[in-house]
Amino acid sequence: MAIIDTQQVSDLPEEDGLAIINSKAPYSCTYGKDALDIALIFGSFEQKVSLFFQGDGVYQLIDKQEGSLLSIKDYLKTFSAFEFYDIEDIYVCQQSLANRQLNEDFHISDVIVLPSIEFGDALNRHKHILRF
Amino acid sequence: MSTLHLVRQSAFATNDFAQCLSVLAHQDAIVLMDDGCYNLKHSLMDSLLKRIDGSVDISVVDTHAHARAMKALPSVNTIAIKDIVELTFKHQKVITWQ
Repeated sequence: MAIIDTQQVSDLPEEDGLAIINSKAPYSCTYGKDALDIALIFGSFEQKVSLFFQGDGVYQLIDKQEGSLLSIKDYLKTFSAFEFYDIEDIYVCQQSLANRQLNEDFHISDVIVLPSIEFGDALNRHKHILRF
Repeated sequence: MSTLHLVRQSAFATNDFAQCLSVLAHQDAIVLMDDGCYNLKHSLMDSLLKRIDGSVDISVVDTHAHARAMKALPSVNTIAIKDIVELTFKHQKVITWQ
C-alpha cells in the first residue's frame, strides 16, 4: 500500500475525501478485500470515498465470476452494498479493460469507464489516495 | 528431458509468463493455474499457440478459470487440480512460475 501525495496537482477543482486504487486481481491475494474493508469503514463514517480500478484490479469488477469454487469467501459479492454506504464514484480504466480483452460487463451497476487521461484527472481531484 | 511449467501469475501484472516462454522447449507442458488463467487472453498466448502448433501441451485448471470468468480456448486442455499430480510424473522437472 502506497500513499501518493497529490498536493501539487491543483488545476482542477479538488474534491474532499479519499480515492482508493485497486490494482490487483481478486483471488490470489487479500489486497482487494483490504481495499473493500477500508472503503466500507470510510463509508459507514459518512466519509466520501471514490474507487478506482486499474491494471489487474479491473478483474474485481468482471461479471460471472465464482469465487466459491476456490473455497474462499467471495468478497466481490459485497460490492453490491456500495450504494448503501453512499459509495457512488466507481471508475474503471478503459485501457486496462481493452488490454485484457474484457467487455464492459460488470457485476455492479453505475460503474464509470474512463480513458486513461480522464481516469488520471478524476484521480487527481482527490486529496488523499490509497493504492492496493 | 521435458519440463512441466506451472504458471500462477497474470502476464498483465508480472513478466513470469514471458520468462517461462523464453525457456520453453519442445515436449514441455504448461499448466495455467490461479492468476495464470488470465493469460488465456494475453497476446503472448495467441503468439504461443501459433508458434508451437501442437508440440507443447497447454492446460488450464478448470475451477480456477471458471472462478475468474475466463473461458478456455479450443486448443487448451481443461484439467482438474488433481491431474497435475500425474503431469509431474510424466515430466522430469517442474518449474513453478510465481
